[in-house]
Amino acid sequence: MTASPPDTEQNDPEQDEAIELSPAEAFAAAVAAAIGGEVSPATRTAKVTVAPESWVDAVEKARDEFGLVYFSFLSAIDWASDVAVGDPLDGDVDERYEVLCTITELMEGKRVTIATNISKDEPRLDSLVSVFPGADWHEREAHEMFSIHFEGHPNLENLYLPEGFIGYPLQKSYPLLSREVKPWPGTVDVEAMPEKDEAAETDTGPSTENPEA
Amino acid sequence: MTITTDPDVIRHLSEVSVSVQIETADMTLNIGPQHPSTHGVLRLVAKVDGERAYDVQPVIGYMHRGYEKLAEVRTYPQVTALVNRIDWVSGFANEVPFMVAAERLMEIEVPERAQYIRLILSEMARISSHFVFMASYPLELGAATPLFFALRERERVLDLMESVTGGRFHPNFNRIGGVKPAAGSGSTQRKVVQDLPKGFLAETRVAMDEVLGAADQLEDLVAGNEIILARTKDIGVLPPEVAAAYGVSGPNLRASGVRYDIRKTDDYLPYDEFDFTVPVGENGDCWDRWYVRLAEIRESAKIIQQAIDGIPSGPLQAKVPKVIKVPSGEAYVAAENPKGEMGYYLVSDGGQGPYRLKIRSASFSNISFLPWILEGALVPDIIAIMGSLDFVLGDVDR
Repeated sequence: MTASPPDTEQNDPEQDEAIELSPAEAFAAAVAAAIGGEVSPATRTAKVTVAPESWVDAVEKARDEFGLVYFSFLSAIDWASDVAVGDPLDGDVDERYEVLCTITELMEGKRVTIATNISKDEPRLDSLVSVFPGADWHEREAHEMFSIHFEGHPNLENLYLPEGFIGYPLQKSYPLLSREVKPWPGTVDVEAMPEKDEAAETDTGPSTENPEA
Repeated sequence: MTITTDPDVIRHLSEVSVSVQIETADMTLNIGPQHPSTHGVLRLVAKVDGERAYDVQPVIGYMHRGYEKLAEVRTYPQVTALVNRIDWVSGFANEVPFMVAAERLMEIEVPERAQYIRLILSEMARISSHFVFMASYPLELGAATPLFFALRERERVLDLMESVTGGRFHPNFNRIGGVKPAAGSGSTQRKVVQDLPKGFLAETRVAMDEVLGAADQLEDLVAGNEIILARTKDIGVLPPEVAAAYGVSGPNLRASGVRYDIRKTDDYLPYDEFDFTVPVGENGDCWDRWYVRLAEIRESAKIIQQAIDGIPSGPLQAKVPKVIKVPSGEAYVAAENPKGEMGYYLVSDGGQGPYRLKIRSASFSNISFLPWILEGALVPDIIAIMGSLDFVLGDVDR
């Protein structure tokens, strides 16, 4: 299972060596060995990737065996080649949602991010609420923002978005409406006058609008 | 009809009137979204049985601005302006972990002087944020006087921050690789000078003495007040294991007796060079949460004075390319902010802006356990408990 975006894997092998030596990575390796996951090579944070089937067990085991009792956050990343906002990824993209859960130990502040990859066709994952009650709101947020369904969550309703909101705003394919109707003003105010907007609208892709002057 | 004054008769009548069983109907009480104790726009839907609440559900999202999405269409330097609006009571402190995350991915060494300036301003942000708590919390309990003492000193601290950064609330002062060359204050405002304003360090040192004095005044004023003690002692007790499982951080976690402070466990700023203690509470009640914050004001003032004594000279900026591109990778950097653990999970694909930025804000987790702690609370205690958690809705909703 690949745990990092494909474009990062080819680069910088010598930096991986340096990362292996850091205490955070050594701790992540110990956690990975215990819960049956892999330490992700191309990241600069202690991340362990596990299979989605063992998601809840892995987090619970990490909590119990390593004293990682503090729930820091849970969120997701949309790895996508079709992006409506921001720059697209280089190279081929392994289309998937990556769910992240960071938990911490409270004596020395050791911290590990446990990750899993789930398919976009059926974005389902078991809920962590039974392990960490604090996961409740974080899972509701990931549900409404990414469409991930958390099995066994007691109350998977919208947290921020109003009832009946259509779409999943943090998906990469979801357009940022304000940026669609009005391009980024840029460093100097040379934007088109209102009557010229029709022409501007057709050729402004979001990726060209970074105002690096 | 004459009114009886016989004590026995009065006692009998009063006993009769309370022994009558009154059926209390369940009622749904809506608190907020506009309510002084919610520090913004938080709504609570409380089911109450008489004076006790038995099911309280917070409703958030009134201030959701979608910063995680907005960060994806901005370049790294532009994100700074975004993130200091998350917790606007301590804007400067929000910028630091984001910068450190980008710098760790870029493998940039920030010059020591810039690190010290970041540290001094972060601690000043902590003092000003805690003074807002010192002002508002007694006010919510009905004591107006501490507000004047706390806000007077906070204004002093904000003025000093403004003289360096140009902004009281939104400094936008950090740059990848260091800090912005400071703008002068007053008549030199338009002229960019290359360092801290003249006299800033000396003035700050004096101001910190006054902050310590104000902390003593506040303690005299509040800690001896019987009403405040009665309203806060043993109210809203948060056990440490519940706090950890919900991700409650910062002073709220430490008030429950957990000595966890990211300033001591991470090296995002050179805190290991300073001598300070991490105050913790014993009971985890509202009173401990107040007292831990007061103790933190004192520790922060001491850290700032040590930093002023030891601040090295040197550049304010590391050498960075003109167009900032962050190499591919992921980094999670959390800082000990006034409200608790403020972290950024930064995913870069090698471009000019983040591919994904997860903002882990302290207040979000700090109020997510409200249904747990408000179960069975008296209605007036709801206000006392909420106020003691010191959250900001911008930090909850992001």
